[in-house]
Amino acid sequence: MTISDIKEQKLSEDDMKALEKLEKGPWPSHVTELKKTKYPIEYYAWGVMHKYSPWYSGSFRVRYVFSGILARRSRDGKVSEVHFRTYSPAGRFLSTAYLKKIAYVAEQYGIGLLEFAGNTGSIVINIQPDKADQAIDIIRNVMGSDVGGSGDTFREFYACPGPALCEFALYDTLAAMDFYRSHPEIYKFFNTQLFPYKIKVKFSGCPFDCAGANARSDFTFIGTWVGAPEVDQEKLREMIKSGKVDPKELVKRCPSGAISWDDDRQQLKIDGDKCLKAMNCIKMAFPAIKPGKNRKIALLVGSHAQAHYGPRLSWGVALLDDYKEALPFILKVIDIYSNNAPRRHRLADLILRRGFRLISEAAKETLPDKPKATPSSHLRFTTGAVLSDDERVAYTEWAKSLVKEYYGGEQ
Amino acid sequence: MAETFVPDPSERINKRIPMPYAAQLPDIIKRNYGKWVDRKFHGNGIIEHISESGESIFTVKVGLPPNSRISVDTLKKIIDVADTYGLKVVRATRGMNVEFITDSLDKAKKIVDIMKGYGFPAGGWGNSLWHITSCTAYLTCSTFAVDAPSITKALYDYFMPYFTGEEKLPSKLDIFVSGCTNICAGTLAGDIVVVGHWGQAPTPDPEKIKFCLPTSAEALKKVTPDVAAVCPVNAIKLYAKEDGSVGIEVDDKRCIACGRCKNVCDYFDWDPDKVGVAVFVGGKTSNTGSGPRLAYRIVPWVPVNPPEYREIVAVVRKIVDVWKKNAESGERIGDTIDRIGLEEFMRQVGVPKSRHNACIEVSWNFGVRQFIKYV
Repeated sequence: MTISDIKEQKLSEDDMKALEKLEKGPWPSHVTELKKTKYPIEYYAWGVMHKYSPWYSGSFRVRYVFSGILARRSRDGKVSEVHFRTYSPAGRFLSTAYLKKIAYVAEQYGIGLLEFAGNTGSIVINIQPDKADQAIDIIRNVMGSDVGGSGDTFREFYACPGPALCEFALYDTLAAMDFYRSHPEIYKFFNTQLFPYKIKVKFSGCPFDCAGANARSDFTFIGTWVGAPEVDQEKLREMIKSGKVDPKELVKRCPSGAISWDDDRQQLKIDGDKCLKAMNCIKMAFPAIKPGKNRKIALLVGSHAQAHYGPRLSWGVALLDDYKEALPFILKVIDIYSNNAPRRHRLADLILRRGFRLISEAAKETLPDKPKATPSSHLRFTTGAVLSDDERVAYTEWAKSLVKEYYGGEQ
Repeated sequence: MAETFVPDPSERINKRIPMPYAAQLPDIIKRNYGKWVDRKFHGNGIIEHISESGESIFTVKVGLPPNSRISVDTLKKIIDVADTYGLKVVRATRGMNVEFITDSLDKAKKIVDIMKGYGFPAGGWGNSLWHITSCTAYLTCSTFAVDAPSITKALYDYFMPYFTGEEKLPSKLDIFVSGCTNICAGTLAGDIVVVGHWGQAPTPDPEKIKFCLPTSAEALKKVTPDVAAVCPVNAIKLYAKEDGSVGIEVDDKRCIACGRCKNVCDYFDWDPDKVGVAVFVGGKTSNTGSGPRLAYRIVPWVPVNPPEYREIVAVVRKIVDVWKKNAESGERIGDTIDRIGLEEFMRQVGVPKSRHNACIEVSWNFGVRQFIKYV
């Protein structure tokens, strides 16, 4: 098979037959779902079996709407695929009344297919190109949401369920997300393409970081506390007596060695200065051990998966008492970022090029009285690799030996 | 619901403020907002949250097809179940699954049974596989190297007992599958991250690459076009041809196959036989154990053979087996690697070493740990 064969994009029955294998197996299959819709599945089958993307990026637009609409066309130019990203409420609690409206839009204006839990935080609905204009109106006026969150703008914000569904939430993540998303100074950037590249904001209620904010958002909010976790000695003794908790395990699993167990007095001590907020003890002995009372919100910047210099984790900036305090800092940093970053560079790329001073000076100016972080240095990561033929052979051989080990002679 | 709107198109510039979170919360959550004090697990798929007022709610996590692609038909089933047995609300999880919320254990168990009947398993909490998150890849994307949803399907088919809790794991396991180096499945800070990549330098499409280049070489004197400017290693050279048009050349010795050029220009080709996936191991965003970190690239390349992807499934199985053998209870993969050493972990996995997986062990201090001045 040569590249020119691929370019002709000849659809075949064989590909569809091969795709049927993906409908078997115990886990629910996306192919089964796709077959219930008007999605052009032959093109997907062709792509999967040829290891070649069936789509080119298309240009499609609804006048006056500048974000949230994405379009593809097939290589042979016969089929197009348009989808909208729609904002969901913070925490992604979706009432059935709202879902019914989504079903209505997907049926009447779309092809009956959606991505229920999109990775940016949005719900993605496939739309028929000729009905896209009305679909926008319906999404805005009937669904009560809006399209947006693609391109060089604010992507969909994301918050963990926080106080709505979790015992560990240290601040109100949902209110924080609503505050920033609907604040006029932030909201004015929605539905525009003004930034050098995307900006993401994510909110996690505790150091468990269920929103993945540490690794995937330019502005990161994580709930934390100062000092040691709160210990209810009475309750802890009860839990130890009933065998739910082993105090030795608590001591052993603490990564900073901050915990000690006094066997005579049956008391647990946690050294607040050493505590790394790793939450290992809290996970094992909740609710006898809880996060401390002196609650703070850690503000960090600059993590991402996709950028010029490869993936990064966040740099720490300051400890806040209230989520609202970060607003002037965020606006200042957006300003610096928009004015200084080359196209398609994320905030972290700018930090790597110009130094963290850019951020720390903005923080000094806009968050004067807040305790500052000591940011860690980062390693450089590459995700792809150009392999030589020898290396490819070596890894293929190794993978084949594993296939033999696990699948035996049935191949 | 059939409403028609015939607004002036210019009205469309009036964007809408996204709805507030409280609009869709059920009353019981509004009453107990921020007042949850305890939780109990009922099997792998049901969590009971207990409020200080004594009220409790039950959440049921149910797995969805890869990339959470569902038809309206399935959505209607979900709505039906949530209406009948739930509190008329569901939650889309970060791991691309769905959570039902209800007010009694009986109803929660009923939801588990009904969804199981539809073919959607419940599980994914505690010491188990929480989710395999996938990007959309060939479904809707034009930049992709491998198809993430079908790899996800192949992995889920094997790892389903770990999701439902029939098979035990030492700790939580998150798997992410991305079709290319953009890592749209979310993060490189996952326990196991499968990332598709080209494994080769891109070849410009001789006919169509012109759509990504300026028409005249004169333009190069003023500005570097995106297609060359985005390259982090300066492997893409643009030059003036004799006829005044622009030529392009990719230096495959410099290229790191990061795919940035593919992001801004569709017209690069590749040899499908050289495409593969890299497997990263041991990252996480949670602050537990040794803290947040990005994953190590332990396996730089595995061949891709659709539709069963046996090689990829076998490699991930091997990694999980090595982890299970070495882990102490409650340890995530990253913590196990920290304790036994990366060198030893890779030796047990048995992966051939090359310049691509010469991982350097470092002590990291990320996330909220940057605020603790203890050293």
